[in-house]
Amino acid sequence: MADMGGLDKSLQPKSARRAGLQRQLRSAAQRSIRIILSILASMVVGSLIMLWYKQNPIQVYIWLFQGAFGSQRAIFISLQRATPLIFTALASMLAFRTGVFNVGVEGQFFVGAIAGTYVGYAFRLPTIIHLPLVLLVSFLAGAAWAYIPTIMRQKLGVSEIITTIMTNYIATFLTSYLVNYPMRGTPTTPETPFVQPTAKLAQFVELPGGLGKGSQAHVGIFIAIALVLVLWFVLKYTKIGYEWRMAGISSRFSQFAGINMDRVFILGMLVSGGIAGLGGAVEIIGVWRKYKDLFATGFGFRGNLAALLGRNTVFGSFVAALFYGSMEAGALGLEWSAGLPRQLIDIAVGLIVFFMAAEGMWDFVASKKGWSLSGLLRRSSGKPQVQGG
Amino acid sequence: MPPAVEMLGIRKTFPGVVANKDVDFTVEKGEIHALVGENGAGKTTLMNILYGLHQPDAGTIRLWGKPVEIRHNADAIRLGIGMVHQSFKLVPSFTVAENITLGAEPRHALGLFVDRQAVLKNVTALSKRFGLQVDPTARIRDLPVGVQQRVEILKTLYRSADILILDEPTAVLTPQETDDLFAVIRSLVASGKTVIFITHKLREVMEISDRVTVMRDGQVVGTKNTKDTNPAELARMMVGREVLLRVNKPEAHPKEPVLRLENLRVRDDRNLLAVRGISLEVRAGEIVGIAGVEGNGQRELVESIVGLRIPETGKILLNGQDVTARSIRDRREEGISCVPEDRLVRGLALPATLEENLIATFYFKPPMARGPLLSLQATGDFAREAIKTFDVRAVSKDVPAATLSGGNMQKVVLAREMSANPTLLIVAQPTRGLDIGSIEFVHQRIVDARDRGAAVLLVSAELEEVMSLSDRIAVLYEGQVVGTIDAAHATEQGLGLWMAGITDGGSESRKEAAHG
Repeated sequence: MADMGGLDKSLQPKSARRAGLQRQLRSAAQRSIRIILSILASMVVGSLIMLWYKQNPIQVYIWLFQGAFGSQRAIFISLQRATPLIFTALASMLAFRTGVFNVGVEGQFFVGAIAGTYVGYAFRLPTIIHLPLVLLVSFLAGAAWAYIPTIMRQKLGVSEIITTIMTNYIATFLTSYLVNYPMRGTPTTPETPFVQPTAKLAQFVELPGGLGKGSQAHVGIFIAIALVLVLWFVLKYTKIGYEWRMAGISSRFSQFAGINMDRVFILGMLVSGGIAGLGGAVEIIGVWRKYKDLFATGFGFRGNLAALLGRNTVFGSFVAALFYGSMEAGALGLEWSAGLPRQLIDIAVGLIVFFMAAEGMWDFVASKKGWSLSGLLRRSSGKPQVQGG
Repeated sequence: MPPAVEMLGIRKTFPGVVANKDVDFTVEKGEIHALVGENGAGKTTLMNILYGLHQPDAGTIRLWGKPVEIRHNADAIRLGIGMVHQSFKLVPSFTVAENITLGAEPRHALGLFVDRQAVLKNVTALSKRFGLQVDPTARIRDLPVGVQQRVEILKTLYRSADILILDEPTAVLTPQETDDLFAVIRSLVASGKTVIFITHKLREVMEISDRVTVMRDGQVVGTKNTKDTNPAELARMMVGREVLLRVNKPEAHPKEPVLRLENLRVRDDRNLLAVRGISLEVRAGEIVGIAGVEGNGQRELVESIVGLRIPETGKILLNGQDVTARSIRDRREEGISCVPEDRLVRGLALPATLEENLIATFYFKPPMARGPLLSLQATGDFAREAIKTFDVRAVSKDVPAATLSGGNMQKVVLAREMSANPTLLIVAQPTRGLDIGSIEFVHQRIVDARDRGAAVLLVSAELEEVMSLSDRIAVLYEGQVVGTIDAAHATEQGLGLWMAGITDGGSESRKEAAHG
């Protein structure tokens, strides 16, 4: 009988599982430390800028965090700011996971918003039909807008990065035109009529109990949370979810295995665009109740960023969007309470996001400096060097 | 005289693995020292430590008797160590001379401009001194692999390396190129250099080395004088048990044709005709081997059968049905399975888990799929079963494929492709980069598939592999079959001539030419 001793490297399953758990815990701990370091580093740089402007940085950061989390109102404003970001972050996340760089979330958001607005004010229907119809139409509109770059990539081989950026411009000007002319509701300002009451999402202040006074946070956050759960389920438990994940991990492997990459790509892009469009409509019927020209910009790009911050995972993107929304809420509070120039606050918030996105930088710094941060974080810290002569 | 290299008590751990456990490794001056072991045995880690690419956790290194500290590969180069990696690090659009001197170019007086005259002169002198013939003005992209390797060696010599580490240098060479390389190595040693030769081909160890060190599981099993040992003993040391060096293969009983190629013409990525009119038949219960130097149309041939590449003209018939225009999934459902040559690109999605990799050709149909949903119960059961049946050494089905050793990765690919019970199994370079134990396993599985009645098309650059596994051999040269022959009648020399495009009967009688 052959001696298998030398080959038997397989561990006992139980201890293996424990080792796996330990590894996960350790990497989670490492990640947390890096995030904290990132936030601290951003504060150091931000403080320098504030000192230059003769502001007390400690006070500014205290106000920033109070504005985000310091009161019930602050928390509801954070939720309000985070709601659209959750949609655009999820839309970006899904596209990125599928291996498509959808930079067009911004435009899909606007197109979904204006389509939803139209259905919202132009029809008179019972709530139970009207509300779902608004959501459905905005989803389809976002998906349809995403179809343009999709088909251009499939038929003409044009990179979706370029076409999605270009369709963003078209979307901005198209909605601007619609609001200024055909859909204009009042002679004085470029905005549509209000949506019907049957097409509104209730704000928390309007509900019994009147939570979140001073904010416009609305029940759309529950749609966002539901979407988080749905996407998590789809990615983990469905065939198309598996196909999306595998296509994103390796398109060449997926193709070889027989997965229809055209179908996977088109579906991923359309659903991503649909989610962005849905987010646009939810923002309108929850917060604004009518479409004002340029009612908001940058949700798409910040959504892209939040997805990246969240490492392209469903829950990561969700948390990153919440965090990003909170920081914006904090910045708003700061503007009101401290009278700081808005640009300064944006720089402070931008720095936090920048340093978090540059998380990988820590490893780089560590490797360049000769002291190994990841080595410090690992158990084997005092590692012996080869003795020199 | 102190030894050229002494590595004492070297220890290196990576997260979760001990790659080197207190390794002692000594190389005498002027010897050719073979370092052998299965993949994952720790040879490359040890050499990367010597070359300054990794820092050991413990241990000392001495060169020529003096303790040294090697923190970066720049230190190693300064100390006279050169390494030729498995994948070459050359700039394809630069000339030979430019590649050799890159980063250490002779310059004009002010140091601003490269002295091109001196570059050429130095390289010519260098290649003359060591008898390594190259054309210094040729561009790398135009050169065959064997010559590119020579350039890599010259690169290390230009930086005055006295100790050369060659990491699996023969993996990419034809038999003739290997002979040339060995001649070069011998001349280097004759001029006073010391060579460390990493390999797992025991035939080469016996042929070229003076001494051999065997590693297993991160430890040194032993060091022997080559003349005092034999392949069987080395194999036993590497694997830790007795190994079959020949494939155990009963006689073939071919039945009806499964695959028929009719005058297939296929273009490559550069839109050049890579397969130029191939007709071939593979029958159930036989292994047809495709021999040939790499780049003679093998890749395009396989890709067109699998469905990754649309042939320009010609037909692909599977069990009598024309599948030339069918999708990859359709073909797979018709019974084609393929172990691709790019294991890391096509065969596996490295960041994905073993389970995700294993189910990729099954997930869409019952029992794994229930309508649009996946049954994680079924996929998990399948993955566990496949891992067990194919003896994949992994902590669990949920680890990323990237964490496995080369042999275990290939087992995962085999497990997926063979679980479909294919009627046509295509295996391309099935054992490239694998260790002896894994090669034995893979070969046995291929023969098993044949004996279960599958038609097997084997594509390999290893002549030995083609000869020992195949029932029939077809040799590919410049996109055409220059000859086919029963494996029983094939000789290495005869096939080698065909591989070089030399046929005895002229172009008319290329097929079924008399042989050997």
